[in-house]
Amino acid sequence: MDIFIYGLVTGSILLICALGFSMTLKTEGFINVAHGQMLMLGAYFTLGLTYIGLPFLIAAFLSVLLCGVTGLAFQRILFKPIKSNGILVQLFTSVGLAYLINGLVGAIAGKRMLSFDIPISRVVKVGDVYLVTPYEFMILGIVLATVIFLHIFLQYTIMGKHIRAVADNQDLAKIRGINPDRCSDLVWFIASSLAGLGGIFLGILGAVHLNMGWQQIVMILSVTVLGGLGSIYGVMLAGLLLGFAMEFGLLFVSSNYRTAIAFGVIILVLVIRPEGLQSLWQSKGRET
Amino acid sequence: MEGFLIFAISILTLAFVYVILCLALNIECGVAGMWDLGIVSYFGVGAYSYAIIVAPEAASYQHYLFGLESNPIYGIVLAIILGGVSAYLIGLPSLRLRREYFLITTIAFSEVLRITFSNENWLTNGVAGIYNIEQPLKSYFSPDNYIVLLFVIFLCFSVIVYKMVNKLSFSTYGLSLKALRENEALAKTARIEPSKQYHSVYVFTGCLAGFSGALYVWLNTLIVPTQFTPNVTFFVWTALIIGGIGNNRGAFLGAIFFVILLETLSFLNLSAELALVVSSLRIALVGLALILILRYLPNGLLREKPTVL
Amino acid sequence: MLTVTNVDKFYGGVKAVENVSLEVNKGKIIGLIGTNGAGKTTLFNVISGFDKLDRGSVNFDGQEISNLLPSKIANLGMIRTFQTATGFPRLTVLENLLVFSENNNFEFYKNFLNKNEQNKEQIEKAENLLKKFGLFEKKNQWVVDLSAPELKILEFARAIMGNPQIMLLDEPAAGVNPALLEQLMEIIQELNGEGITFLIVDHNLRFICDISDFIYVMNDGKLIAQGKPDEIVNNELVIETYIGK
Ligand SMILES: Nc1ncnc2c1ncn2[C@@H]1O[C@H](COP(=O)(O)OP(=O)(O)OP(=O)(O)O)[C@@H](O)[C@H]1O
Ligand SMILES: [Mg+2]
Repeated sequence: MDIFIYGLVTGSILLICALGFSMTLKTEGFINVAHGQMLMLGAYFTLGLTYIGLPFLIAAFLSVLLCGVTGLAFQRILFKPIKSNGILVQLFTSVGLAYLINGLVGAIAGKRMLSFDIPISRVVKVGDVYLVTPYEFMILGIVLATVIFLHIFLQYTIMGKHIRAVADNQDLAKIRGINPDRCSDLVWFIASSLAGLGGIFLGILGAVHLNMGWQQIVMILSVTVLGGLGSIYGVMLAGLLLGFAMEFGLLFVSSNYRTAIAFGVIILVLVIRPEGLQSLWQSKGRET
Repeated sequence: MEGFLIFAISILTLAFVYVILCLALNIECGVAGMWDLGIVSYFGVGAYSYAIIVAPEAASYQHYLFGLESNPIYGIVLAIILGGVSAYLIGLPSLRLRREYFLITTIAFSEVLRITFSNENWLTNGVAGIYNIEQPLKSYFSPDNYIVLLFVIFLCFSVIVYKMVNKLSFSTYGLSLKALRENEALAKTARIEPSKQYHSVYVFTGCLAGFSGALYVWLNTLIVPTQFTPNVTFFVWTALIIGGIGNNRGAFLGAIFFVILLETLSFLNLSAELALVVSSLRIALVGLALILILRYLPNGLLREKPTVL
Repeated sequence: MLTVTNVDKFYGGVKAVENVSLEVNKGKIIGLIGTNGAGKTTLFNVISGFDKLDRGSVNFDGQEISNLLPSKIANLGMIRTFQTATGFPRLTVLENLLVFSENNNFEFYKNFLNKNEQNKEQIEKAENLLKKFGLFEKKNQWVVDLSAPELKILEFARAIMGNPQIMLLDEPAAGVNPALLEQLMEIIQELNGEGITFLIVDHNLRFICDISDFIYVMNDGKLIAQGKPDEIVNNELVIETYIGK
């Protein structure tokens, strides 16, 4: 039972971290390595804001917005001008950006492990089973709300429909009078806010440190590929699946191998089903 | 010898290790067009192979396999062989995939390997690593002379690797790799069998990366698992992109440029606190350089050019 | 020389090719026509080894080839082209031909051990081909920089370089202006005169009828007619599928 719940928590955080990443992948077409650093930025923004005296929840909320705005600025200043240069250039610009963010944060905040100044919370116990801590409970709630919100936004609002149109076919969307730049802006804003949120979650349950972005981006990449490149629902499924896999795997191997289990699962899935999980519900696209 | 000169020489010596890694990456990813984010795997395998063969027997508080204190030549040979073997094995499942799928599988393998390095104490002494691995020929030279000697040896190695990779890039084999990169389906109609070419270039890359891993340990005299994070992979890619992907001279130059960029600031004599800040800032500097170069020279310092026959 | 017997190829529920049999005799030019989505390209993919068939057999020169890799089939002397011709964009025009040289040795260790340079003979052959097709001036340019008609021509030069016994052309006339089409037809006929067999897919009925000795017609994955060009243009079923709708 607790394995199920731990898996759910791990999975939901992964999901939130990967969602934004896969949105940029889908609309912008490249692997945004800096996404991992946006997670870290969210956590450090929150630290910084609590440091100057804001209450934690307000600081967290502002940090999410701040991340969104920062992401938007990156899109405008860095990525928009090089869009025509191909995905490799975009990808490595994002690698450069990742270094830049990581270096600057490191220079300002130092390399020590930090943690949020929030009270330690106890696991809630119902009968004989241990349930989650209030924090974890809150995280699950926020993740659920975010996912539902995102689903409604993408499926039913005009802006959401535009974003999906751009993601499906940029040229066609342009012909239909959709402004791809505005969609890009919005996607960057949402994706970066989500990253910030994920980073804060990670900070609540673990520690805030300089390497968290790099550690997570590998995981995020995996979840996204497993979910079938840019498919948002695939990513959700993959995030949860990996979360469970990691917690279940711990029954068999030592906890040091926790992430190794995830990677093992990914390798296995890709070798058996090269198109990722998405291929389970979508027939293979045409070739040549 | 003057401090700065020694510093410059040792930085270049380190750069030559990266040059080899970068050339290996170039023939695989620049010439053959594969999306490999796992080159650190073979670098790590090579480094550990060298380390456990060359290091003395494990002390009572340590654990690692072998510790034969054997001739470093064997260490290097073993590093090359095991680098190739691990590439061969990892290639078996992953080479069936392409692009993003290949990328993720290779990076996943590299993480699995790193986690193994840090947890299998019997093999690698775990996170504590292995220290004081004696440098070959060290006892015959004064420290200053030894630094110069290392520089010369590593320079020779990297020039040899350059020649080798360059020859291969412009051979018929290299042509087949470029054909695969450009249009795999059409390449098949030219009698090229993709799996065979990809697998061979992958193993070759593994051997070279293993070799540079051995040199890395030789230079550092120590090995810990944290040296083998995906960071290395990204560093080498960055160096290659800066230099000019697809161009061997670019790969050579890019690696040197990159290491100089990364290490120069460490020459400044700073207080411990400031040094920490600076060590972060130089990462930021690398990032900034990468962004600017891609903005204004999207093909790198030396771009790939048409081959004139 | 090429015999296709009862071939099926399904994609999920789509019957892309269903029970198709055809025969290509040595030295002939065979046409294959059909509406969009009729399964022509899929049939090509099956014959040339790019797709595994679900049923049936493909026999080339007395050898069963349906389970061979594309590279092996190419090695037997069958060269195919693709519907969208891009060539190898960032290889030079000359290299685009040299990739197809007959005696290339792509083995790693051969190239690693000795300097396996392109031999003079093959370079000369490639250069002569380029001269013939008017591309010699551009031999050291990347193919990305060529115009569309030049790409089409190069496609042929490349195929010829491989010294094939049979060429499978997928829509060679698509997007080609009349003057160039004239030139392509001349090339095909000249090569045919030298003994190369052709199987050609195209939508340009005039072109196919002019050039082919025998024509097969596909619709919805099935073969619906076959015959000499004049028989085909008068075949009711063909007229119906092409014009009737
Ligand atoms: N890889 C694939 N996956 C799924 N369906 C496919 C695939 N390739 C082809 N098809 C389907 O098979 C059918 C035949 O396609 P094919 O490309 O062979 O037609 P064609 O005759 O070459 O058409 P065109 O004249 O447009 O080139 C079509 O319905 C197509 O959608
Ligand atoms: Mg077709």
